Amino acid sequence: MIDVIGKRKYMFIVSAVLILIGVMFLLINGGFNWDIQFEGGTIIKIEMANDSYDAAAVESDIEALLGKTVTVQKEKTFNPDDQANSIALLSIKVTKENTLDSSEINSVVDFLVQEYNVKADTIPQIQSVEPFIGVELRNKALMAAGWAMLLIVIYVGIRFRVMSGISAALFGIVALVHDALIMLSIYTVFNIPINEVFVAAILTIIGYSMNDTIVIYDRIRENTALMHKADIETMVNTSIVQSLPRTINTLVTTLLTITTLFVFASIFNVESIRQFAFPLIIGLTSGSYSSIFIATPLWMMWRKYRIKKKILDAKV
Amino acid sequence: MANKPRRNPRMDYSSVSKKEPKLKPGAKLWIRFSIAILIVTFFIVMILTGAPGLGVSKVSEIKTGIDIRGGVSATLYPDVENINEVTDDQLRTIKTILEQRIEAQGTFDYNMSPDYENKRLLLEIPYSGGDNTNPQKVIDDLGEMALLTFREVDLTDDGYIINEITGRIEYLPTDIIVVEGFDIDTASAVYIENKPTISVKFTKEGTEKFSEATRRLVGYPIAIFLDDQYISAPTVESWIKTGDAIISGNFSADEAIDIANKLQYGALPFAMTAKEINSITPTLGESALSVTLDAAILALILVVAFMLFRYRLPGAVASVGLIGLVASIIFWISAFNASITLPGIAGIILTIGMGVDANVIIYERVKEELRRGIELQEAIDIGFKRAFSTILDANVTTLITGGALYIVGSGPIKGFALTLIIGIIMSFFTAIVIVKWLLKALASTKALSNRWLYGVKKEVSK
Repeated sequence: MIDVIGKRKYMFIVSAVLILIGVMFLLINGGFNWDIQFEGGTIIKIEMANDSYDAAAVESDIEALLGKTVTVQKEKTFNPDDQANSIALLSIKVTKENTLDSSEINSVVDFLVQEYNVKADTIPQIQSVEPFIGVELRNKALMAAGWAMLLIVIYVGIRFRVMSGISAALFGIVALVHDALIMLSIYTVFNIPINEVFVAAILTIIGYSMNDTIVIYDRIRENTALMHKADIETMVNTSIVQSLPRTINTLVTTLLTITTLFVFASIFNVESIRQFAFPLIIGLTSGSYSSIFIATPLWMMWRKYRIKKKILDAKV
Repeated sequence: MANKPRRNPRMDYSSVSKKEPKLKPGAKLWIRFSIAILIVTFFIVMILTGAPGLGVSKVSEIKTGIDIRGGVSATLYPDVENINEVTDDQLRTIKTILEQRIEAQGTFDYNMSPDYENKRLLLEIPYSGGDNTNPQKVIDDLGEMALLTFREVDLTDDGYIINEITGRIEYLPTDIIVVEGFDIDTASAVYIENKPTISVKFTKEGTEKFSEATRRLVGYPIAIFLDDQYISAPTVESWIKTGDAIISGNFSADEAIDIANKLQYGALPFAMTAKEINSITPTLGESALSVTLDAAILALILVVAFMLFRYRLPGAVASVGLIGLVASIIFWISAFNASITLPGIAGIILTIGMGVDANVIIYERVKEELRRGIELQEAIDIGFKRAFSTILDANVTTLITGGALYIVGSGPIKGFALTLIIGIIMSFFTAIVIVKWLLKALASTKALSNRWLYGVKKEVSK
């Protein structure tokens, strides 16, 4: 039988290193990269007739027009009507300090239509958020994540009172926090902006990870009665190994679907979908990993400590 | 003591309450099998053909969110110095007026919700294909104050048109303005002699202007406009000096209220400006949709292939359940009149992967029992029974996160949360009812009770 429990220390180290790398990058980057949705700022994307335009020239023109710093980039995306040629996009980004108001947005759009080779009758993609709204949205999303976690702790606590309840639930939560930290680390390392989509991904992973942990806990609950002669380490390890086929198969089917989505979005440059699929892939893997290597071993160590303490107390 | 009737523990009550089975046990299995097939077929047929009576449209015609079809979502704030002076009534009025303005442009499937706490309006308008290709301008125009005017009319043939729909005369705006919106103090709909009429009270200045005009115009109409849009043209019956006018005519109570509202609030109390705007072009939305749909189909094929490879016959049954599950999610989205959004489709794709989890839990258990030498039917029963609480617990946690997302998320994320919630409930139902009924009937036949079909070796290993 595979000895999962015996190798737990290595696994703790792997997780700690990953999270530490995240913290390091966080310090280097000087904080999280909040999306304009959560911070404020403006992004305008406009479809061009072709991609033979000078992004640097557009940038200096718009800066002269507004008197504000902007970043202009060339982008392209999949064209469903003409698969051979992708859609050429001009992307203008303005940071929160310089968030454009409606008249500024209008003047930029009018200017581009007049001066550059913008595709006829195109509708620009505009996202503009005043900083105060961004902060409000961010707080609201974080609150929701907090409430969801709290409700899950309460539910798991109630359901698992049999198997030393709250402590089991708490270590399940440790695993959730671990998954959230791993996802945040990946986001920080790759400098991906954090927005509502990320919160949706994190909450989904929280559900999934708890799900995974519950399946293993359930097996432990069953084996506690069946294997009362075995020592706790063997019993917990057996439970993990017995639920391993399920953990792996479910991870495979879920990863199959999400990875398909991610690959499609990457090939065809659909940014919004890629931003959604990527954190899910990381989170799903981390979710299964943490159930096996974090939540369950930690809980077992706690139980062992308690039993030892009881025996010692009894001797005294 | 003990005068209550007590049960004798040695007596077997179960045989008393148990009904005699009228059908052979095999028949019951096949009836359930047929019901399960019917349910799956129902969902598939429904999304392929649609059912207007149930408010279900076919899959190709389901409403899509603005992230796919293109459109604008914006948060509009009152353009005032002190936002706390804005009352709920004012906000409600603004909402009514903006709704009329949007509908006047022929757009009806928009979404507007007032946020009274923060004094703002959240607005979502799908792309309507009009002339104005700058979404920022569309929102700007919408939030403008608009001008309410009473004007003299041009009674020659050039001065009016006949509305083709109502058949009534509609005057065209002239340059001679009698009074403006700010000259009106209050306007309300009242019943006079059981007829809906509109009572208007002018301000002091308005009274003077109106008195001067009505003195000259007795017997002639005065037309009311909102910007250039014609509202109504009451005829002046007498010289009105007091500043209290009554507009009577052939209108219903609703029309009277509508006109009174326009007179009182025709102009927005203040302009509304967008402090948050998000517009998606139809081209980019379509592009993302086609990519996402292709991914969804491939994902479904991959999972079905995996389940067949890994679990053989039960895998095939799970795949039937999975197709029913996807169809049922689309069915419920349509039945709830919700929109399909890109994160929503991502949610369906995720559900395709997670939806088989319940099956995986059950089947792994069945395999274990079979390996221990338990008979097939019993092993299946144990598998479903043991797995039930696990599946329930696991689903509740995901439901909690789905609920939290639905409450705080904006449009597209709400779409994701909704598919996640429907997906969890339906996958639970599919695994516990549909798949169980299908599998138990199939396993009862001799041809399909070979142990190999269930993923274990033919012989029991001792």
